[in-house]
Amino acid sequence: MFKLILSNLRQRPTRTLVSVIAVALGVALLLVSMGLSYGQLVDTVRRAQGIGGDFILQPSEASVIFALNSGTIPVRVQKVIEEVEGVEAATPILAKFLGDQFHIVFGIDPESFGRVNSTLSFVEGGRFSEPREVIIDTIYANSKKMKAQDPLQILGHEFTVSGVFREGIGARVLLPLTTLQELNGTPDKATMFFIRAKEEVALEQVYESLQERFENYKITKTAELQEIMMDSTPVFKEFVTAMVFISVTISFLIILLAMYSTITERTREIGILKSLGASKSYIVRLILNESLLICAVGVGLGFLATFVVIELLMAAFPTLPVAISLFWRVTAAAMAVTGGTLGALYPAVKAAGMDPVKALGYE
Amino acid sequence: MSEMIGMTRRKDVVVVEDLQMVYRVSKLEVPALRGVDFTVKEGEFVAVIGPSGCGKSTLLHLIGGLLKPTSGRILIEGVSISSVSDFERTEIRRQRMGFVFQSYNLLNTLTARENIALAKRIQGNGHYEDGSAHQILRMLGLENKMDHKPWELSGGEQQRVAIARAVINRPAILLADEPTGSLDSENSRMVLNMLRELNSVYGQTIIIITHDPEAAATADRVIEMRDGKILNRVQNMFYAMEEKRS
Ligand SMILES: Nc1ncnc2c1ncn2[C@@H]1O[C@H](COP(=O)(O)OP(=O)(O)OP(=O)(O)O)[C@@H](O)[C@H]1O
Ligand SMILES: [Mg+2]
Repeated sequence: MFKLILSNLRQRPTRTLVSVIAVALGVALLLVSMGLSYGQLVDTVRRAQGIGGDFILQPSEASVIFALNSGTIPVRVQKVIEEVEGVEAATPILAKFLGDQFHIVFGIDPESFGRVNSTLSFVEGGRFSEPREVIIDTIYANSKKMKAQDPLQILGHEFTVSGVFREGIGARVLLPLTTLQELNGTPDKATMFFIRAKEEVALEQVYESLQERFENYKITKTAELQEIMMDSTPVFKEFVTAMVFISVTISFLIILLAMYSTITERTREIGILKSLGASKSYIVRLILNESLLICAVGVGLGFLATFVVIELLMAAFPTLPVAISLFWRVTAAAMAVTGGTLGALYPAVKAAGMDPVKALGYE
Repeated sequence: MSEMIGMTRRKDVVVVEDLQMVYRVSKLEVPALRGVDFTVKEGEFVAVIGPSGCGKSTLLHLIGGLLKPTSGRILIEGVSISSVSDFERTEIRRQRMGFVFQSYNLLNTLTARENIALAKRIQGNGHYEDGSAHQILRMLGLENKMDHKPWELSGGEQQRVAIARAVINRPAILLADEPTGSLDSENSRMVLNMLRELNSVYGQTIIIITHDPEAAATADRVIEMRDGKILNRVQNMFYAMEEKRS
C-alpha cells in the first residue's frame, strides 16, 4: 500500500508539493504566532517575577497587562500596605508604554525597590543617582549597542545610562520614579505595587490580609501570574483558539481539495483495486494514509519553516521574546493531522463507495 | 466418456439460476439479462459469445459480485454471492476471483512487478506458492520487462501482466471480459495460449467473454447469448443430462 501511495504522490508532484506547503503553512502560522504571543507573555511574567515580590497590587479595574493604565494609585498607599500584617516591604512602580520604541519603561523608587528585590546586579556601571539617569538591561544594551554613560532619549528628554543590569527584572529600561511621574504628568502616582511578604509568614495568610485591607484593589500572587495573565489578557484565549482553528482549517481544506480531486481522477484505479478484491476499508485506508503522509511531511516542513522564520525575526529584533513549547509543537502537529484526516475522510468514504463497474470506465 | 464422468464429479464452481438484471436509467428500465441459467464446473474453460449489448459483461459483473442482480441466484462454490453482505462479497472476490478486462486496467503508476505484487498483497490468501508464481511469470515471457511501467509495454504484454495479476493467487475462477479485444492476432494468440495453459496445467477455471471466434474455439464449451438469454440450450441440455446421470 505504501508503494502505491508513494507512486501516486510522485505521479502528481505539483499537487503533492502544494498540499505539503499548505499544511506546513498552517503549522508554521500556528507555531510562529503562538511562539511570539506566548513569548511576550512568558517574558513579561518572568520579568515581573524577577522583581521579587510575592504579590502585585493594582487598581481593581486594571488588566494584568501593565502600563495600559499608567499611574492611578497614590504613592502614599505604600505606607498602608507596609502596615498590613506579614508584609515586609512594598514598592511603587509606574509603568509607561513607549509607543515609538514599542516597549515598557518602569519608574522605580530605588530605596523601596531594593527592599523588595534582591537580585538586581550590574554588569557595568551602577544605580542611578541623578533624576536624568536610567539603567538598562543587558538585552537592551546589546540590541542598541549601548554601554554605561551613553545618552538615551526617553519621552523627548535626554538621559544618561548609569548602568547595565542583568536582564530579567521588571522592564528593559528603569528610571527614577519621580522623573517618570513628572514626564507622565502623574505626580505621586503609581501603576502598581510589588509587595514582599515576611519570610516566616504563610503567603496565603498575607494574601487574605491584603485582600481584606484593600477591597477595592486587585491583589495578584506573582507565582500565579502566568495563568492569570492568560485568563485576563484581552482576547488572548480567543486569539489562541482562532489560530488553532485557522491551522486546522487550512489543512482540512487543502487535503479535502487535494484528495477529492485525486479520487475523481483516480476512479479507474479504485475500480481496479476493487476488482482485485480490495475492501472498502482498504480504499479508505489508502486515501487516509496518503493524506497522513502529506500531513506528516507538511508538519516537518512547517517545523523547519518556523525555525527559519524565528531565526530571521530574532536576527532582526534581538529583544523579541519567543517561546515555542513542546505543547504547541505537539498541538500544531496534531491539528495538521486532525484537519488533514477530517479533510480526507469524505473523499475516502466516497472513493470506497464507488461503483466498481462504473469506476472501471467500461467501454 | 470417462472424461465426461470425471467432469460430473467435479465441483460446481459457478451456478447461475434464473438470473435477471434490469438497469434503471432514470425512469427507463433496460433489461440486460432475462433469465439465464448455467453451471461451470471446476477446471472448465467456458467462452461466452454473442452480439454487442446482449448482456455478456453484465453477466460477468454479476458473477464477480461487482453488481447485484434484480432477481435470480449466483452460487460461487456453493455460496450465494448476491445475498451475502457487501463485506463477504468483497471477501469472495478477494479470495476466489481474478478479473481480466479488455482495457488491461493495470495501475499506471506501478511497474508490472508492482502491479502483480499489489494483487498478491491485497489477496494474500495463502494459495500463493512461490513455485507456481514463478512459473506463471515465466509463462508470461516478460521476465526482462517486469520493471517496466504499463505505458512501456505493448498491449499484449500489458494484458499478459493483467492475466498474471489475476491468477497469481490461484483464484477458483478467472473472469475475463474480451481479453483479446484490443489485441492484434499475434498478441491475441499469445494471450489465449496463456489462458489455455493456465487451464490445462493448473486446472484454472476460466470464463471468457469474446467476440473472437478463435478465442471461442480455444474454450471447452461455448455459451451463446442473445438478447439477455442463453441461446444454445442444446449444449446445456446435454450437460444437464450428464448431471442427472451422476
Ligand atoms: N450501467 C448501465 N446502465 C444502464 N444500462 C446498461 C448499463 N450497462 C449495460 N447496460 C445495458 O445493458 C445491456 C447489456 O450490456 P452489456 O454491457 O452487458 O452488453 P455486452 O454483451 O457486454 O456488450 P458488448 O459486447 O458491447 O460489450 C445493453 O443494452 C446496455 O446498454
Ligand atoms: Mg461487454
